Amino acid sequence: MTKEEAFVAIIQEHEGVIYKITTVYTNSVSEQQDLYQDIVYQLWTAYDSFRNESKISTWMYRVALNTAFSRIRKEKRQPRAVTLDHLNIRQAEPYDKQFEERLQAMYEQIDQLNSLDKGLILLVLEGKKYEEIGEITGLSKTNVGTRISRIKERLRNKMTKKA
Amino acid sequence: MELEELQQVWTELSQEVEKQKKLNHKIIMEMTQQKYRRKFDKITRYETAGTVICILSAGFVLFNFDKLDTFFYQACGIFAIAFLVVLPTSVLLALRKIKAIDLINNPYKDTIVAYTKAKNRLLFLQRIGIFSSFIFFFVTLALTGKIMNDKDVFQETEIWYFIVLVLIGLLFFSRWGYRMYLKITGSAEDLIEDIKP
Repeated sequence: MTKEEAFVAIIQEHEGVIYKITTVYTNSVSEQQDLYQDIVYQLWTAYDSFRNESKISTWMYRVALNTAFSRIRKEKRQPRAVTLDHLNIRQAEPYDKQFEERLQAMYEQIDQLNSLDKGLILLVLEGKKYEEIGEITGLSKTNVGTRISRIKERLRNKMTKKA
Repeated sequence: MELEELQQVWTELSQEVEKQKKLNHKIIMEMTQQKYRRKFDKITRYETAGTVICILSAGFVLFNFDKLDTFFYQACGIFAIAFLVVLPTSVLLALRKIKAIDLINNPYKDTIVAYTKAKNRLLFLQRIGIFSSFIFFFVTLALTGKIMNDKDVFQETEIWYFIVLVLIGLLFFSRWGYRMYLKITGSAEDLIEDIKP
């Protein structure tokens, strides 16, 4: 298998992960497509540096989240108009109405978090252990635990306020 | 929504996303190339708009060519038409060539050679454009005066204030434009450097 074939196989296997990350960090279809493209490009350029010291998924999350963070930093320097079109971009095919509503409620909750917390909650939702989250984000296991507890607390408080 | 509920929706979303996989080999590899091409998109848009204006202006000179009654004015007219058609078209072709470089399928060495060649051509055209635009400015003044008012504009004293001002503006604009090209080609070069095997 050539380098290119191996890379394509990895992307195909994990395309859902990239899709989910791009939906959390963008607000319009074009932004999502741009970020998706940026992530695939960064994964390709960083592919040679992947040394099998960590799991491929850990490496992918790290590169993808770093790409999303650096894009956010860049956008803060060059602010631009954002079209809020959350639901439309977050699905490739129509879902049933009930699921769509729950999905929108979930994105609304996640959207209220800052970019690092978004990444942390995304990794928790992906079922990652604190240790792996630490490996991906560069935070210590304890720090990850503390931050996630705070996020849970914030989500709970928001719910109470809403109720 | 509590974390447990978020988790449930996320799991359902993951299942849906898994069902909708749609990337193929070609799309994935094209994504790695898109970023390189996008570097030149903005400049291509500006150059295309500029080319349209230049072609229309060349048409205007050609349409009024019969008003150019001396050899000097006719030579100016031919120079202006050639400048307005050849240079922008060459720049667009050079941009097309640089964008068409295949970063994925070509061997790295070939990519570097092709890119360097295309970049040098593009920057060379820009330098020619900058130097000839100063001559073109005087030619345009002469032609405008002749076509619009049938007179020699250089005989009027006030025109020289205008000329000095425009020349200063042209100097700054040319430097800015050339630097923009240097920045774009430099950043595209960094991208190529990134894919070094």
